[in-house]
Amino acid sequence: MAILNLLFEHRDVEGIGNIDVWEANGGYEGVRKAAALEPQVIVDEIKTSGLRGRGGAGFPTWIKWNGLPKNYDAPHYVLCNADEGEPGTFKDRELILKIPHLLIEGMILAGFATYSKVGYVYIRGEYVEPAWQLRKAIDQAYAKGYLGKNILGTGRDFDIYIHMGAGSYECGEESALMSSLMGERGNPRLKFPHAPLPTVAGVWQAPTLINNVETYCAAAWIIKHSGEEYAKYGTEKSKGTKIMSVSGHVARTGNYEIEMGTPLMELLNMAGGVKDGVLKAVIPGGSSVQIMRPEQCEKINLDYESCGANGTLLGSGGFMVFNDKTDIVQLMRRTSQFYMHESCGKCTPCREGTRWLFKILDRIASGNGQKGDVELLLDVCSQIDGRSYCGLGDAAAWPIVGAIKAFRSEFDYWIEHKRSPIGNTFVPPVVEAVNPVLALTSV
Amino acid sequence: MIQNGINTLADSYITHPVAQPEDKMQFSEEAVAELEEIISHYPERKAACLPALWIAQREYGGHLTPAAIREVATRLGTSQTEVEGVATFYTMYNLRPRGRHHLEVCTCLTCAVMGAYDVVHALEHALDISIGETTADGEFTLSEAECLNYCGNATVVQVGDHYFPDISPSNCLNLVEELRKSEKYTPALLADSLVKIQTPGASLKGGGSFKAEEI
Ligand SMILES: Cc1cc2nc3c(=O)[nH]c(=O)nc-3n(C[C@H](O)[C@H](O)[C@H](O)COP(=O)(O)O)c2cc1C
Ligand code: SF4
Ligand code: FES
Repeated sequence: MAILNLLFEHRDVEGIGNIDVWEANGGYEGVRKAAALEPQVIVDEIKTSGLRGRGGAGFPTWIKWNGLPKNYDAPHYVLCNADEGEPGTFKDRELILKIPHLLIEGMILAGFATYSKVGYVYIRGEYVEPAWQLRKAIDQAYAKGYLGKNILGTGRDFDIYIHMGAGSYECGEESALMSSLMGERGNPRLKFPHAPLPTVAGVWQAPTLINNVETYCAAAWIIKHSGEEYAKYGTEKSKGTKIMSVSGHVARTGNYEIEMGTPLMELLNMAGGVKDGVLKAVIPGGSSVQIMRPEQCEKINLDYESCGANGTLLGSGGFMVFNDKTDIVQLMRRTSQFYMHESCGKCTPCREGTRWLFKILDRIASGNGQKGDVELLLDVCSQIDGRSYCGLGDAAAWPIVGAIKAFRSEFDYWIEHKRSPIGNTFVPPVVEAVNPVLALTSV
Repeated sequence: MIQNGINTLADSYITHPVAQPEDKMQFSEEAVAELEEIISHYPERKAACLPALWIAQREYGGHLTPAAIREVATRLGTSQTEVEGVATFYTMYNLRPRGRHHLEVCTCLTCAVMGAYDVVHALEHALDISIGETTADGEFTLSEAECLNYCGNATVVQVGDHYFPDISPSNCLNLVEELRKSEKYTPALLADSLVKIQTPGASLKGGGSFKAEEI
């Protein structure tokens, strides 16, 4: 198991973002094939492949595709979550920038399979360059008749619109994304079982399919080749490939498409190993998941089961590597600052709790920690985790609990000695949210 | 930076529920056409609130004034409070004037451990401002950004519609000098890109600082 370029097969072909080059490399074959298929056949193919959502939670994709009413009586919507905001993740950016037509194919197929006529790609506002590429690709696909009315003479219609976000991590959460798409603040909405699933009543109360960019790209690959072919790769419960975004203290950062189940250390080696020191820790799936010590890293394979069994998550594939010059307390201080800033403010445990976490970590990491602060952190985490309205609250608590579990002695060292155990490496500026004077003056 | 949930604008944003007599609608003819095109992508007018604010940000020269928010509300047929709620929620809408170039330095996890704070300090020193401030000549605003999701090339600095990767304390001064001479990457051009991207067929025309072919 190692690098396996399925989605990235044509990534480095010159001009592949252009539809002519894309078609010359087998592009849109999947769509031509699917045009002749019954919608249910497409869903079944996805089921055979065993594909699970690549946005973070790993939910079986075919169940969503199968969940929309099977008729054209009322509008259905296909949404693509391209709000990629999880710190450490940059795979969707590269997919859209380099091979935008693969995403378009995936969405057209989803449109066929779910009896939808309209798709929206929700792209975070900062991704201007990838979004321009997608704009160009969509315009080309219209010109060639892959989008619009009566696609390839099938009588089916499908339009794709781009919707740009405006700077909010929370809008990656699917119900908040729908609020944002409807022109509202990015607050999430009540979820199943307290409210219907999006496939029943999603955006504008219409049946809605929502998937991550990588999920649609994988679906396009699956329909072009076959579900069986895809299921040949990976482990029993994690099929196919996963794109891992490798960053931090490694020699060769970048996106690596690996077969599911590849040992964590193998990916690290492929990326050229640890830079400027020895390995101290790895966060395997984006800032929301628990940090792992080197001895734990040895045991982990990059698939949903193995990560789960070792107390972390594969998440979105944001693989961050830290060498022995990294101060874990300062790292967690910055992590908690992120969640404090991105909390949408709808529910109290997260809105207040994330501020508490930051304030406590800030005082520890500035040499003002007090005895009992670690217990206080754990207490606050336990009151956020499981008590928040959406996943952001949980995601704010997990990494801190994980870091205390793995690196408790460093927190104690900071509190006792008022300085960093590895030598203070950076001096962060004052954060305005906890400084009311700044907050009023520096917008 | 706008902190969600904290109204940092209490002084300048007193809600006027109806259009003020001194308000003049400022959207150009082209802007109105763009807005109507974008509205047609959704089943209801209100859904175009985010793109409408981008258009307003461009038409009003890079930031959203209370009058700009009232114009958006009027054009979408929704309430001003609602539009104001949206404008204050998202960090990319500017509610105060920014410098001609807005340097947003990512200091999130990877960038932080790879030295983003050193870049921040170098820029603070070079521009003689603190984070969150604008230079006296109105050229630069300096901000801290959350993860820009280009972590493989830490430290990343976003300026308008462009990411500058691999910025270090030594090369950030070149960046400043380059930007000083540049007409590109301004807040208004960022807004222009974000509007054009949402308009079918726009890739033929281009917008913002670059055309799709140039990326
Ligand atoms: C706080 C939060 C942020 C999220 N951000 C993203 C994101 O940026 N991109 C994404 O694809 N999914 C994100 N998700 C997951 C989505 O809610 C959703 O599960 C996903 O888009 C479903 O697509 P999938 O089934 O293809 O994974 C986020 C979830 C939470 C709770
Ligand atoms: S958990 Fe946080 S982000 Fe989610 S609804 Fe509550 S306040 Fe908003
Ligand atoms: S941490 Fe800076 S781009 Fe992700």
